[in-house]
Amino acid sequence: MKHLLLKLEPFIWLMFGQGILLGTILLTGWLLVVNLGVPLGVVSDAGLEYERAHGLASTLIGKLVLAALCALPIWKGAHHMRHVFIDAGGGDRDAVIAPILYLIATVGTVLSILAVVRL
Amino acid sequence: MAEMLIKKFVVTRFDPDQDDVPRTETYEVPCHPDWKVLDGLNHIKDEIDPTLAHRWSCRMAVCGSCGMNVNGEPTLTCKKAVRDLPDTIEVTPLSNFPVVRDLVVELEGFMDKLKSVKPWIIRAKEKAVEEGPTRQSPEELEEFKQFSMCINCMLCYAACPVVANEPEFIGPAAIALGHRYSIDSRDEGAAERNEIFRGEGTVFSCSYANECSEVCPKNVDPAAAVNQAKFNAVIDWATGLVLPRGGKE
Repeated sequence: MKHLLLKLEPFIWLMFGQGILLGTILLTGWLLVVNLGVPLGVVSDAGLEYERAHGLASTLIGKLVLAALCALPIWKGAHHMRHVFIDAGGGDRDAVIAPILYLIATVGTVLSILAVVRL
Repeated sequence: MAEMLIKKFVVTRFDPDQDDVPRTETYEVPCHPDWKVLDGLNHIKDEIDPTLAHRWSCRMAVCGSCGMNVNGEPTLTCKKAVRDLPDTIEVTPLSNFPVVRDLVVELEGFMDKLKSVKPWIIRAKEKAVEEGPTRQSPEELEEFKQFSMCINCMLCYAACPVVANEPEFIGPAAIALGHRYSIDSRDEGAAERNEIFRGEGTVFSCSYANECSEVCPKNVDPAAAVNQAKFNAVIDWATGLVLPRGGKE
C-alpha cells in the first residue's frame, strides 16, 4: 500500500493543488458573492435565477466547471486531513488512513460527476 | 565606554561519556552591547568554562557553522545581538539532530541528504574545453541565484515539523539545492532529480508549514523551492504519461 501511495503521489498532489486553487479562490469568491454581495444588494441577483443558473450549468463547460468545483476541494480536504494525521504523530498509520481518505475523495468525485451528468 | 549588559546564559551541556541525558549550566556573562550570542558563548569558553563545546568559524553569517536554538528559535548565533534578547538567554543544540557534545550536532545524516539530490551540473555530454564556456544570461542566473545562497546552516531542519516527525525526510535545504541545479540553464539532469523527488521522504512529504523560510538567515525561501520542485516533479510525471518515452529523446 505504501508503494502504491508513493506511486500515486504526483496524481494526488495534482488533485490537491487544483483543489486549493478552486477551493480558496473560486469558492471563496462564490461564497462572498452569494452570501454577502447579493444579500447586501452590492451584486445583482439576476444571475442566480434558477433557469439561468441551470442553463449555464447544463452546458458542457458548465458541467465540467461544476464537477471540478465539487470534486477537487474534496481532494484538497482529504490530503490536508492526511497531513494533519501525520503531523499529529499518526505517520505509522498512514498506510491505513490515507487510502480511506482518498477513497472518500474518489467516491465524492464519482458522485459529483454523476450529479452534473444528470443535470 | 558603553555600559555592559549582564546576561544569564542557560546552556545545554551533554558529555556522552558522563551524562545519560542533557543537563543545563547557567553562566553570568558581562556582555558588550554590540556582542552577538556567539561572543557570549566564546566568553564562557575563554574565561569561565573551557570545557564548553560549540561550533563556529567565520563570525559573519557566511559559513553556517554556529546555528543553535536561542530561546527556542533556530538562530545563527553570530547574527543575533544579545541586546535584542531578554536577560536570560537559553542556548540549546539545533533540534532534530543527534547531539555529539554540548551544542555540537552530528552533520553526517545531513551531508548524505545533500548528496542524494545530485547537487552538481549534470550534462548528457561534456563540452570540450576548446568550445569555450557555457554562457548564461542574467535572467537565467536570476532563476536559480536565490536558491544558491544557502549556507547549509541547517536552521531549516531544526525548524521543520516534518523533519521532527519523519527523520528520513530529505528536508528543505537538500530539496532547494537539488532544485537550484534543476532550473540552472546549464544543467540537463532535471529528469533524474524529478525521479528522486518522486521517491519516499522527499518533496511530497512536505506539508508546507513554511517554517524553513521563516528561519532562513539568507532569505533563500526553501519552502518556495520545495513547492516548485513538487510542481516540476508532477509535470514531469504527467508528461511521461502522455508523451511516448516520457517525452525524452
